[in-house]
Amino acid sequence: MSMKGAELVVRALEQQGVEYIFGYPGGAIMPVYDALLNSPIKHILARHEQGASLAADAYARVTGRPAVCMATSGPGATNLVTGIANAFMDSVPMVVITGQVPTVVMGTDAFQEVDVFGITMPIVKHSFIIRRAEDIPKTIALAFQIAAEGRPGPVLVDLPKDISNAVPTAASIFEMRKSKRASPDPRQVQIARELIMNAERPVLYGGGGIPMAGAVDAFRAYARASGIPTVTTLKGIGSLPTRDETYLGMLGMHGNRAANRAIQESDLLICIGARFDDRATGRLDGFAPKAKVIHMDADPSEIGKLRHADAGLLGDLLESLAAMPTGLSIAPWQQWCAERKAEHAWRYDAPGEYIYVPDMLRRLTEAAPDVTIACDVGQHQMWVAQHCHFDRPEQHLTSAGLGTMGYGVPAGIGACLARPGARVVTVSGDGSIMMNIQELATIRRYGLDLKILLVDNSSLGMVRQWQQLFHGERYSEVDLSDNPDFVEVAKSFGIPGFRITRRDEVDGAIRRLLETEGPLLAHVCIDPKSNVWPLVPPGQSNDVMMEELSA
Amino acid sequence: MNHTLRMNIHKVEGALIRLLGLIERRGFSVTSMNAHSDDARQEVEITVHLRSAGRSVETLARQIEKLYDVRSVACLTSGEQAIVMGESVAC
Repeated sequence: MSMKGAELVVRALEQQGVEYIFGYPGGAIMPVYDALLNSPIKHILARHEQGASLAADAYARVTGRPAVCMATSGPGATNLVTGIANAFMDSVPMVVITGQVPTVVMGTDAFQEVDVFGITMPIVKHSFIIRRAEDIPKTIALAFQIAAEGRPGPVLVDLPKDISNAVPTAASIFEMRKSKRASPDPRQVQIARELIMNAERPVLYGGGGIPMAGAVDAFRAYARASGIPTVTTLKGIGSLPTRDETYLGMLGMHGNRAANRAIQESDLLICIGARFDDRATGRLDGFAPKAKVIHMDADPSEIGKLRHADAGLLGDLLESLAAMPTGLSIAPWQQWCAERKAEHAWRYDAPGEYIYVPDMLRRLTEAAPDVTIACDVGQHQMWVAQHCHFDRPEQHLTSAGLGTMGYGVPAGIGACLARPGARVVTVSGDGSIMMNIQELATIRRYGLDLKILLVDNSSLGMVRQWQQLFHGERYSEVDLSDNPDFVEVAKSFGIPGFRITRRDEVDGAIRRLLETEGPLLAHVCIDPKSNVWPLVPPGQSNDVMMEELSA
Repeated sequence: MNHTLRMNIHKVEGALIRLLGLIERRGFSVTSMNAHSDDARQEVEITVHLRSAGRSVETLARQIEKLYDVRSVACLTSGEQAIVMGESVAC
């Protein structure tokens, strides 16, 4: 029996082991939705395509496998774009399927026609327009392979409606090329070994490439065996458990002072799966000015892109890490770092009556060490990165490269589905949550056990902080004091909620979040003037860390 | 700095625009170019003369090499010193 193109699509997805598709139906993709009715694949209906693409992103981060999102042509496709860019910036494997108008009318400005292939070109790892139904199985298989291999990323497959309705004449046979896992150059390995043996003040600078490469265990084994003080980027958090003795914290703009000072003092920076992002480095020519650099990455174009690498180790991280020397004589440096860590340990004795968010977040992860936190973007995101404890990087879902407000709720949805039974909390802000508030309906529809900790300062806090510090307190469009009643909003979506405003309510709120069955929203009202500290001003070197201004 | 790159790409939909888009997006301007399509081999050979204010052409070549439809990249101008961006001007 011959199958229609749409059925070939669904069959190809089944062959890839796809369990969930995140999407939203519409005209041009209807044949695929029809074929889905006969498939064991479960479809998660988001209430906006952006919610679907961001949920898929988080699902992929937690499972480590390419996730699938799908939408129709035109507005369906353009609504996916933010999620695609988010996955691209954070190297998340994702296969995006968009319906397209029939090939005969492509290029005629047909109803709901948009050139999504062209629109997304700078934010995909690769993309296809399928022109023949025969090519469907091969194209879908290739999309998964490209999305996952090397440095992962999103792959878009644009599927015209006449192709998904067509019955191909011949069954297509294809062979996938073996994906190659390159080994690092032995000469570079030797140079790196010598650099480490001769270093007096080495630092491990770990990034999101560690979990992406499945190298978390190898990384922590090397960090512990070598005793080299470790800092991570936002995406690298959890690669070494945050409670480990040699872990100094996140580096960069809102990094821990000990982490930034260690980097600035170091004579050897061992960069593992990170990319010298400006949020991490601050002013680039002032970043780790005394250090030589070893750069390990899966992506050849990252080595030497922003900072010269004295040794560049491409390819398999497991192999590179296993080849690095231990038994180093760096006791004085370890001692110095331990002292800085103690000196700059976070303090939680903030004065005043308002709920102190860093302390609340710390208590949350102390009460539930297994919790997965899906963050939104803004001040609360930085507080999570600074103060929460994580044992694994998959426990911390955050939109790092793109900084997508609205990530938190869909990401929580993706995480709940990726790991059924896991404890998942979305930490959001009053600005961010409104960007994808419609996904509360998705939580309700699928009965997901997602908790939401909504930190509300009645403003766009991070922008307000910058206007206060760098724009002479000229506040422009940051006041959100006319927010809706979030507890009532949740209630109207069928999600219970409660509100706290005082410090003595925090422990009770955490207990409720952790002990309640089913979804729950905690609305936490905080000081509208709270700021994130420390802060490296934009364009400055990481030596320049501003601290809390005295009131 | 002026540079010349010679590339062979698969002759498939979007390959040329993807290549040129990447070059401009990464901070290079095309001063002249020549493209020759070989239907039998299903490929296009492109020679591009480029100008950039301080970006590394070697990094660009590695970024081009990553494109799925690119078969080969050759840098026809001599090597260069590794360029390090002076200061962070990101917002």
